[in-house]
Amino acid sequence: MGKSSRVQNARLAQVRAEQAKAEQRRKLLIAGGTVGVVVLVVVGLVFAALQGANKDVAGKAGSALDQASFAKLTNVPASALDTVGAGSSSNPPRTIDAPALTKDGKPRVLYVGAEFCPYCASQRWPLVVALSRFGTFNNLSTTYSAPAPEPNPNTPTITFHGSTYTSQYLSFTAYETATNEKSNGNWKPLETLSSEDQTLFSTYNAPPYTQTKGAIPWLDIAGTSIQEGASWDATPILAMSHAQVVTALADPSTPTGQGVLGTANVLTAQICKATGGQPANVCTSAGVVAAAAKLQ
Amino acid sequence: MAGQRPARTRERRVPGWFPRVALVLCAIGFLVSAYLTWEAFTAGATLACPEGDTVNCAKVTESEWSKFFGVPVAPLGMAFFAVLAWLCRPVLLRREGLGWDRVRLAWVSVGLVMVLYLVWAELFKIGAICLWCTVVHVLTFALFGVVLFGQILIEPAPARVRFKDRPR
Repeated sequence: MGKSSRVQNARLAQVRAEQAKAEQRRKLLIAGGTVGVVVLVVVGLVFAALQGANKDVAGKAGSALDQASFAKLTNVPASALDTVGAGSSSNPPRTIDAPALTKDGKPRVLYVGAEFCPYCASQRWPLVVALSRFGTFNNLSTTYSAPAPEPNPNTPTITFHGSTYTSQYLSFTAYETATNEKSNGNWKPLETLSSEDQTLFSTYNAPPYTQTKGAIPWLDIAGTSIQEGASWDATPILAMSHAQVVTALADPSTPTGQGVLGTANVLTAQICKATGGQPANVCTSAGVVAAAAKLQ
Repeated sequence: MAGQRPARTRERRVPGWFPRVALVLCAIGFLVSAYLTWEAFTAGATLACPEGDTVNCAKVTESEWSKFFGVPVAPLGMAFFAVLAWLCRPVLLRREGLGWDRVRLAWVSVGLVMVLYLVWAELFKIGAICLWCTVVHVLTFALFGVVLFGQILIEPAPARVRFKDRPR
């Protein structure tokens, strides 16, 4: 190879090296841009979520439960309850080792929930049916769980806020801690737990008593068992009115009847353990006896 | 020796940090995913994570969004990091040609898209952030950057020297 040819080759190699460097710089710029776009997308998502979280939410307003619906809900025929047994109920109360929870010498049932909470909305229906077998509710009102994007948006339900309960067998305390309306990113507070109940809630609404800490709905049945979350799938009632729910839940052939009455029987069976099997006609009914097999 | 072909030496020069950083990130990601997988199959009984309104691992890992077409996303994360670690082995990085580079970039891009989808679900559908999941998300994003920049900085194999061009 001649000298001029070697010089030519060296120049060619230099040009190629410079071209490769330029190509590498171009690729690095594109890569940097790509990474920048991904970062912008994530920042945009977080910003949009924060804007949404701080947006006020107006939940659907409820009203007093009409007399006909109230009568149907609090007097479900025993035959319907017996037909269903445990029905499609899941997530039964879990037995705990704790001091007995009583008030005025009677076993006490403690409920903590909130009006925005969709799982509380599911669970109140069977709870009202079960407790109505031991006593009498007054001033029950209707409400809805929070709208989308919450799960099961606008689930029609009952609220315990403003209601009273009397029974010769047991005492019932209910807290609806927040409304279904959001202001400045927070659900509007409604009722505050007493210090004693807050201690119970903090102690027995955490592992090992429950799977997650502080979740609602939460139920302490006379210190004998704890129930956290919903026990039936409320999807069938999402598009119903309150009156339609009350009609559907009394029908054992509907998914609503299977879920609500089954759960009501399971809760009744657990409450019967605390009341010493009183009242006998309730605690020895076929539905409650069948549902008792679900208790842990 | 007659009949024996010379050893293949036409390999690319890979930045030393590329496989090391990639393998370390994959190992951490695999371990965190394994922990989340364990929690997914034990109902989160020992999940070490705050449980507030915004940061709540259980709320995320127990939500319907913790599954992708019925498969829990935590074991999918394990598979992602294991495969990426295999793709980032030095022997594959040095190999001539763009085939494995494209596979590697496509794989890490799939992971990044999945991460963006899960972040969207956390922010807009679940309304809570899972700290352990966020660790996996950050690692995936970091791996995307490592693979992207690492592959660009790989120097090509020396040009083939033809017999007629040999030095004389």
